[in-house]
Amino acid sequence: MKNMRTVLIMLVIGLFLTTTLTAQITGRQVMEQVYSRDSGNNMSANLSMTITNARGSTRERSIVQFRQDDGTVENKIMFFTAPADVRNTSFLSYSYADGRKDDQWIYLPALSRVKRIASDKTKDSFMGSDFTYDDMGVRHPSADTHTLLREEVIDGWNCYVVESVPVDSSSDFAKTISWIIKDEWIGLKKEFYSAKGNVARRLVINESARFDDIWVITNMTMSNLEKNTSTRITMDNVSFNNNLSANFFTERQMKIGPRI
Amino acid sequence: MQKRTKFKILIIAMILLTVTGLSAKDVDLRGMVRSYTGFRFSEQDIAVNEQTIDLTLEGWGDMTRLVINPYAYVGTSSEPELGIREAYVDIFFDNADLRVGKQAIIWGQAEGAFITDIVSPRDMRSFILADFREIRKGVPAVKADYYAGSYTFEGIWIPRFVPTSMPGKDSMWMQDMDLKPGVTITPQPVDQPAFDLKNSEIFGKMQYFGPRISWEVMGGYAWTDTPYISSLTPTGPSTVDANQAYGRYKVVGGSLSTAIGPVVLRSEAAVYLDKPFSVITLGSPPSIDVENHHQVQALAGLDWGLWGIEMSAQYIFSYIHDFKDGVIEQGKKLTEFDHTFTFRMADTFLDDRLTAKVFVYFEADPLNALIRPSLTWSIEDGVLIEGGVELFVGSEGTFGSYKDNSLAFVALRWYF
Repeated sequence: MKNMRTVLIMLVIGLFLTTTLTAQITGRQVMEQVYSRDSGNNMSANLSMTITNARGSTRERSIVQFRQDDGTVENKIMFFTAPADVRNTSFLSYSYADGRKDDQWIYLPALSRVKRIASDKTKDSFMGSDFTYDDMGVRHPSADTHTLLREEVIDGWNCYVVESVPVDSSSDFAKTISWIIKDEWIGLKKEFYSAKGNVARRLVINESARFDDIWVITNMTMSNLEKNTSTRITMDNVSFNNNLSANFFTERQMKIGPRI
Repeated sequence: MQKRTKFKILIIAMILLTVTGLSAKDVDLRGMVRSYTGFRFSEQDIAVNEQTIDLTLEGWGDMTRLVINPYAYVGTSSEPELGIREAYVDIFFDNADLRVGKQAIIWGQAEGAFITDIVSPRDMRSFILADFREIRKGVPAVKADYYAGSYTFEGIWIPRFVPTSMPGKDSMWMQDMDLKPGVTITPQPVDQPAFDLKNSEIFGKMQYFGPRISWEVMGGYAWTDTPYISSLTPTGPSTVDANQAYGRYKVVGGSLSTAIGPVVLRSEAAVYLDKPFSVITLGSPPSIDVENHHQVQALAGLDWGLWGIEMSAQYIFSYIHDFKDGVIEQGKKLTEFDHTFTFRMADTFLDDRLTAKVFVYFEADPLNALIRPSLTWSIEDGVLIEGGVELFVGSEGTFGSYKDNSLAFVALRWYF
């Protein structure tokens, strides 16, 4: 009888251990961790964009960006500082955690006017680069159905590999596969697949750094494998928790420019 | 070089030196150089050849900004022109801004139409073909904005009247007052309202800037920026002089913009109260009465994208209350109802280096239009070459009456 009890206890413990070991994190949970990763109350940074076309010639774009997230709305304002013909153009967006479509405005100095723009520009190229407006924002996890494919080690980092299929069937890509560093919840690589099943674009994170204990991607390259073009974005002058006024993410600031 | 031109150069040079001397790290100089050439189809000639330099100097203090926007212009047949489009100082407070000086003020949601956007007069010397920003003239003004959350309250005081600039007598854009066949009507110089406190213009606006909808309501007590004919003086059997004047009127209006799915809806409307109009009686000789009428202008517009192409359509409506035949404006007969449509389409190609766009103004009665297709090629960052056509279609109406001015143009712009 005593032996029987020991066997039963061993079975229960064994079953418990087995259940615990197999209760892996889901793809959705990974992407929610990425989405809710600490990114500070607000952030500002200078972005430099180098766009390389199929012939290898390059063009430069410079942006000063401010972002603020209160958990329900992410406000972002971008001031284009170069080249000269787009200088002082600014772009304001409100992105909602509940998955609502973004609200977006653009200030065109040539018109001296702030214009509301339709939020379906998300698929369009951002300033002629290989990034889309959607890539420049934070994609809400509810926009895709996520599946954890496997785990991989890349450059010494243990990564989750997650496949994400857009809920919206009109999306410009069929699926993405993301490599997310375990426990840091920051991406290392992302591939965008076309409807034909080919990798159409590939995002590679070249450098990330910690500022105020917050991970920031400081150098990344998006390659368009179909067009043989690429765009590299580098980020400097990164600062968090700036003292931004309540009126910062408004029409007023769009006209003033990147002055705090 | 004329004394006046020399004086202007001296003033601009002094301003440049003053601003650049403020503090190198807080001063920014940017600008644009443009060469524009237009070939007129009807005359087979180079009708327009313009060189423009436009500079903007911006100086920043801790809570202030100085902006000076001088320009130099050399036209086909006019004297070289030096001027200052804007020169103002901003003072920024936590919840308020104050702007003092010569400034161009742009209101409303309309594209290519001026409904509530009547604070700054216009430069119409090239009809409406000038770059959008250059159509607005700066006015000496004090502008104050107060911000309360999503609401902005704006007040403007313009102490000195500045009229809209009209084409010169020799300009291809000058139109004859063709009101009665066989009678030549010659507009006479018009006196501007005296620089007096009672001749000030005032405007106010309340604005809401929100995620779902943005709107504004405005009001003002203004001058007509273009003159009306106040009387006709016969000078011969078939010639009369048109005496002109500027008149007062009040205006109330508003605008809104909102996104409905993938479409942005814009709307704007204004009522001009007791606006002075000239009413001509075609007797022998013809005579003019000045009457005050309410006028309504309204616009509904949609912006949307399709396959990456930006598109915009607008319907603009005008109505003159208590209308009678013979109401004229700028020497042209008006109708009780007027309907104008605009359509804009733009797309970029080749990594955003090539931009194709077309803007169409279209009037239904009489049928006439202005069609403006163009291609812009970015040679390198900040250097653009644009080629296009300004096609006036019809034989009468706002655009058709310029049927002989259809032209092809090429413009080189260099931004720095």
